[in-house]
Amino acid sequence: MKPKIEAASQWCYQGIWGVLTRYFRVPDQPPTLPPTAEDEQIQSFKPAYGFLNYLRLQFWVACILIDLGILIGWVIILVNSPWIGVALALPALFLAVVPDVIAYIAIHLRFDTTWYVVSDRSLRIRRGIWVIHETTITFDNVQNVSISQGPLQRYFGIADVLVETAGGGDKRAQQQAGHAMGAHLGLIQGIANATEIRSQLMARVGESLTSGLGDEDDLGRTRHSGWTDEQVTVLREIRDLVVAAGGLRDGTGSRQQP
Amino acid sequence: MTESNQADDSKFDPLAITRPEPVLLKYYAAVAFLTGPGFPVAFLPLYFKYVTLAYKFDEDGVSMRWGILFRREVHLTYRRIQDIHLTRNLIQRWMGLATVGIQTASGSSGPEMSIEGIPQAEALRDFLYSKMRGARGLKPLPAAGSSSGSQPQQGDGAGREADADEPLQLLREIRDALRSNAMPPPAGQSGSAAGGETTS
Repeated sequence: MKPKIEAASQWCYQGIWGVLTRYFRVPDQPPTLPPTAEDEQIQSFKPAYGFLNYLRLQFWVACILIDLGILIGWVIILVNSPWIGVALALPALFLAVVPDVIAYIAIHLRFDTTWYVVSDRSLRIRRGIWVIHETTITFDNVQNVSISQGPLQRYFGIADVLVETAGGGDKRAQQQAGHAMGAHLGLIQGIANATEIRSQLMARVGESLTSGLGDEDDLGRTRHSGWTDEQVTVLREIRDLVVAAGGLRDGTGSRQQP
Repeated sequence: MTESNQADDSKFDPLAITRPEPVLLKYYAAVAFLTGPGFPVAFLPLYFKYVTLAYKFDEDGVSMRWGILFRREVHLTYRRIQDIHLTRNLIQRWMGLATVGIQTASGSSGPEMSIEGIPQAEALRDFLYSKMRGARGLKPLPAAGSSSGSQPQQGDGAGREADADEPLQLLREIRDALRSNAMPPPAGQSGSAAGGETTS
């Protein structure tokens, strides 16, 4: 029915991904939103491929720096006391290689398990491998939308969109800690069409009559005037009555003089 | 009943939920077990929470209460929900559970209500989402034909303007009609001032 999540790389999908979905119950289907209207457009998408490259570059920089540190430390030990140095050769190699492999796989898994669903009225974000976290926000509740893009992200053509709803909590700290979930916040990380998403959200926020604070919005108000449909109907009736009465008087010619 | 991990979403009725499923106790036991020697200390409050935990879903809102010595009750309405979080850690996924966190626009960064122990957590989350403000979209604009010949509408923007100004337009027409009823207009005009942009 739905296509399975397209893995970033084949080996990752077949091996570790298979174990994760089978034994660790990682969902292998993209998240979706329940349709609330017939004509609702719902699209699920992953971060842009540039996001994976961005993570990879970060990985390689960190990898080279750490491994260089390990190598230098090992060489110093080897020069000072050759026997200990030789004995430590294998553990040092282990220490240098194994975390890198794990980190590299984790990057792919992070890319593969991050999903965004956007409809024309709400937003859902899924993130995480061990703890899978899904956030749902309707655009009506959005207070502000911000886009951030660093120079590296600009090089890879991606940006982060931060969607905030009303309420407190240390949002910035959470965002910097990298798990921007939990507080009144949705983080759409590493997408290529950030401005498109932002204008879609802001258009929807601008149309909303309420302040996005959980006020009732289904009182039947028309979108701009603040009058309810019933009030306008009564006004129309009064207008018609008054006009009809005026026409009647004009016809009979019995107008009162002031 | 006890091992109903497979969520049967087809006949899921959120309004019928009153108690968490018994598998929640197993989850609490597993969580307490992870603390190692702290198991009794960690498990006791969780056990009492499980025993006393009660949910009540109705048409407008949801409430939950728990506690034996210190009792807590949380009430909130669906309309005031700001964001919904569905969190599943590894143990919860193995047991078919999830935590549905509901946030309102309050100052705390944690969820105001965490609904645990519902196997049909995704269906519950989607139920809450459908009750949330803005999930069903804005009210559609009233049809242009319903305003009985008040204004010609040129294009979309003009149509919206007309909608915004329709009460004002109607009030002006009433005023003009009343004025023309009350005082005779200068020769020839008989109550045809409808729609006139009279400066007040």
